[in-house]
Amino acid sequence: MDNVANLMHGFSVALTTHHVLLMMAGVLLGVLVGVLPGLGAPNGVSLLLPLTFSMDPVSAIILLTSLYWGALFGGSTTSILFNIPGEPSSVATTFDGHPMAKQGKATEALSFAFLSAGFGAMAGVILITLLSGWVANFALRFSSPEYFAVYFMTFASFIGLGGASPFKTVVSMAMGFALATIGMDSVSGNVRLTFEFDVLLAGVSFLIAVIGLFGIGELLLTMEEGLKFEGVAAKVRIGDVLRTAAKLPRYWLALLRSSLIGIWMGITPGGPTAASFMSYAMAKRSSRNPAKFGKGEPEGVIAPETADHAAGSAAMLPMLALGIPGSATAAVMMGGLMIWGLNPGPTLFTDRPDFVWGLIASMYLGNVVAVVIVLATVPLFASILRIPFSIIGPVIVVICFIGAFTAASKEFDIWLALVFGLVGYLFKKLDYPIAPLVLAMVIGDKAEDAFRQSMIFSQGSLSIFWSNPLVSTLMAIGLALLVLPAVGSAARRLRGAKAASTV
Amino acid sequence: MITRFWAEIGTAILTLVFGLVIVKGSLEFGIGWDSSGPQPGAFPFYAGALIALASLGTIAVTLSQRVVGRAALAEAFLDAERGKRVLSFLLPLVAFVVLSVTLGMYVATILYLVFAMRFQGGYGWFQSLATAFVMAAFFYFALEKFFQIGLLKGPIEPLIGL
Repeated sequence: MDNVANLMHGFSVALTTHHVLLMMAGVLLGVLVGVLPGLGAPNGVSLLLPLTFSMDPVSAIILLTSLYWGALFGGSTTSILFNIPGEPSSVATTFDGHPMAKQGKATEALSFAFLSAGFGAMAGVILITLLSGWVANFALRFSSPEYFAVYFMTFASFIGLGGASPFKTVVSMAMGFALATIGMDSVSGNVRLTFEFDVLLAGVSFLIAVIGLFGIGELLLTMEEGLKFEGVAAKVRIGDVLRTAAKLPRYWLALLRSSLIGIWMGITPGGPTAASFMSYAMAKRSSRNPAKFGKGEPEGVIAPETADHAAGSAAMLPMLALGIPGSATAAVMMGGLMIWGLNPGPTLFTDRPDFVWGLIASMYLGNVVAVVIVLATVPLFASILRIPFSIIGPVIVVICFIGAFTAASKEFDIWLALVFGLVGYLFKKLDYPIAPLVLAMVIGDKAEDAFRQSMIFSQGSLSIFWSNPLVSTLMAIGLALLVLPAVGSAARRLRGAKAASTV
Repeated sequence: MITRFWAEIGTAILTLVFGLVIVKGSLEFGIGWDSSGPQPGAFPFYAGALIALASLGTIAVTLSQRVVGRAALAEAFLDAERGKRVLSFLLPLVAFVVLSVTLGMYVATILYLVFAMRFQGGYGWFQSLATAFVMAAFFYFALEKFFQIGLLKGPIEPLIGL
């Protein structure tokens, strides 16, 4: 059991006073980011990233991942108390969480949410502990064609399983790839696609894209909807928490099933949002009394929360072991890793074991810290939302633009953030998925390198992607993910047409 | 009032143009094969082509849905009331960006927050000014002093010795 020994070493890295304090700071910032509209996990991480450039990478990643856990918890708080999801992934929590709060069971709903979320996160982290070494070892056999095939698989699953119009997903994804190619080409040394604008020489940073698309875009949308916070007051008493915790084992089946759904959606790039919805739907379908769902059924809180956090933590596995982020937030963190000079992927496990295992150990600790902190600070953060939006909104705007500027100290980035904000507003309103764009921007260069090197190996023949069993399998899975959903819906339509004609 | 149909078509045309611009830019660098492998323009060329094709796809789908008469397309994308709310937030935001690059980010922050609180939020002068100055001071100490990251400064900061 190498992994256990490695993990123990990781704990020795993560369990210093400095790192535990960073975890607490990260969780607090994360809850704040998760509670505030317009600031979510992806742009919370983007805003904080420039401040970590001078930090040691282990400390930096602990701070950022803790912020991520905090943001996931903060999102559920507003879902339950205000019926306003702070994060897209906690939308499903509003269905039963808010009704529970209105019935005077706010503490119970919050405790169920946080405890089951903690359970889901733990399930994800345990999976990472057990599998990451093995996956990384396996991935050491990958060369360029295999990597390209894995990237292909990632984006094929976005298109096939994403739920949005496949055309819109392709537009979003290809825009990410195109934006990633702007600036210096690392292979030929050419400066590409700058159209003679000097400001484009250094390329377009994914940080600016995230701040604009997720931050400014989200704020504009919030403003349009004329948001009003009318919340349920919550006081969290320790006794109520313990009583709820004692009830939790009754829902063991929901916890397990939701963890599995979450882990699966986290490893494949389905992401936490899809996981929470799927888990909620499954819980409702398999329940003995589905009519209770939507009216304050505890299982309706437990299922999406567990899956959400399981997916959030499991998304770190492909990022660390393969260099492929499983969610938008993981994509931003991976971009951070590259800025810190680390190379995410299988070689990271051999080159920087202290980093990898320190991070994994910090995920165990960070989630425990997060559950405790979030239970203790719910009333405080709930009161933040009572500050009117006419103050909060402009302050968030200022934070977003300052964050955009600090990313590279370029004036042009402020304008760029504004443009991305408008694009984000438009895309969100028209159901264009945004995560593929961010993922493509972060892994764009790597995908291009993998493609070019494969072409050089094969003298320009695409047959290299079918040249050995490993790469063929990966490509076949990718194609299946791409085509199957279309085939499935066509078949359903045919069957529907037949059923209609027999009537 | 803008209907969903026109919003869909308009956005798809925008992405189509973006794709074509990328395609045109890539052609300058060659999209074929040379001694060192695929030429630098190849990858962005295919990305741009994908954007353009998928945008055409969206346009085709939207048009065909219109022919079938799908109700969702006739719905409002943005009605007058919502449009006003967005603009009342967007215009000061744009002004903040313009002020940031001309007067510096600290001055812009103060002006923007005071405007939003005093004239849009209906707060008193004292509350608005206090909040704005406290925020600006917070950013100054957190960024310049603690993290040693300078923000964009304009002509006013040197006058008061910052």
